[in-house]
Amino acid sequence: MERRRIRGLTVSFEAIPQALAGVLDLPFPEGYVSSIVYVSLYVSLTAVALSTLFSVPVAVAMGFSEFPGKRFVKSVINAGMGFPSVVVGLVVLFAVSNQGPLGPLELVFTTEAMIISQFVLATPPITAISLAAISGVRENVRDAARVLGGTRLDVALVVLKEARYGIATAILAGFGRAISEVGSVLIVGGNITSADGVSKTRTLTTAIQLEARQGQYGTAMALGAVLVALVLAVNAIVVRFGDQGVRR
Amino acid sequence: MLRAVGVSQSRGEEAVFRDLSVGVDAGEVLAVIGPSGVGKTTLLRTLALSLEPEDGRVAFDGTDAWKADDSERLSLRRRTGMVFQEASLFDASVARNVEYGLRVRRSWRDRLRDELRSIAGSKKHPHAVRESLEVVGLTGKTGQHAGSLSGGEAQRLSFARALAYDPDVLLLDEPTSDLDPRNTAVIEDAIAEARDRDIGVVVATHDMHQAERIADRVAVLLGKHIAEVGPTGSVFENPRDERTRKFISGELVY
Repeated sequence: MERRRIRGLTVSFEAIPQALAGVLDLPFPEGYVSSIVYVSLYVSLTAVALSTLFSVPVAVAMGFSEFPGKRFVKSVINAGMGFPSVVVGLVVLFAVSNQGPLGPLELVFTTEAMIISQFVLATPPITAISLAAISGVRENVRDAARVLGGTRLDVALVVLKEARYGIATAILAGFGRAISEVGSVLIVGGNITSADGVSKTRTLTTAIQLEARQGQYGTAMALGAVLVALVLAVNAIVVRFGDQGVRR
Repeated sequence: MLRAVGVSQSRGEEAVFRDLSVGVDAGEVLAVIGPSGVGKTTLLRTLALSLEPEDGRVAFDGTDAWKADDSERLSLRRRTGMVFQEASLFDASVARNVEYGLRVRRSWRDRLRDELRSIAGSKKHPHAVRESLEVVGLTGKTGQHAGSLSGGEAQRLSFARALAYDPDVLLLDEPTSDLDPRNTAVIEDAIAEARDRDIGVVVATHDMHQAERIADRVAVLLGKHIAEVGPTGSVFENPRDERTRKFISGELVY
């Protein structure tokens, strides 16, 4: 049932630009939209997955310990949520440029560089919201997990489970920031397509700004619709999983 | 069996209690009575080995728990069970709540196998889960979510959760203070059942009638010390300590 619905949504992603292309007579090279969707999803999902693997353990460690300067670290993370993405893009560009510390890896204008910058952007919201969710788990539930014989790891697992909806929200917020972001992916990725029009580092957002600048408003609108549909679909999938958790 | 000897605890600068000694044996119910805020909860947490005493020692069958290494202390800690004043249940089904204590005592391999069985729907609840739910009269609610229970049922589930892994000592912190008479009676019957299973039970309560009903011995915690400890009948009918007499008669009000 759920699978069928997801498949239905996938079909509609493709159907929207195709239908609009017919109506508006848009000049889409073959595979243009799907390659852009692929790059957008590949970069954002990879960055969010890596950031989740990093951020959630950091949030658990912070939620379970007291150390001098914890409030300062928390305020730095919170401030990071509002960090301007173009500045992140610039810093990552310097880092991966020939003279930068990651220069030898030759990452300028690659999807890997875009993943790095989106990782940096997604990490503050995922860490901060996860930490808030973990800190919000009632103290007496932690106590119960411990006095009933749990080790520190057992207690951490109980807390993670209790905070699961908050953590899912954190991941969604990180994904939202990554997929809808323009500035840093434009700087480090370069908005490049190959000669046959297939996206190399062009994402939905950078494509939209390019098409709009060139006066191709129809194309920009179609790509915008795909982007909104993607965000809605990912949110719907996560919410659906969340509901199953409640029922179980 | 479980003994605190000369223990002291403080909250910030202020001492909660000083040089306090109390113990419980297998198959007996000890009631710790005293006014609110006197440190009954702190004493129970100290006995549960979840709070290290600032002074003195807590010994399980003669082994000083805080001198033992981490793994030995964990295995001593696992011989106790605790029920709080507030139910503090996990956001899961009734059965999963009761199973928690059993689950954390299993190897990771067995736990993983259980999880897979649970996902596949072929998992059966262990006998101990059904048995402890029976003690508190919740057998019909196994599959329900813990959040859907009433306050009294939630507290009964808390009790079943601590009983399921068959601890040697049960520590109950004001377990019935928020409950109606019917649920209180179920918990008191469950305490009697625990005693019959040779479990040592320590109940902190401010309800002196309850202490009289269920306890074999009573310890009166007053003014940072155990003012008096002895068999329930003699403490209530013939207290040796003047402050105990005043507390029991209601003259001593904090």
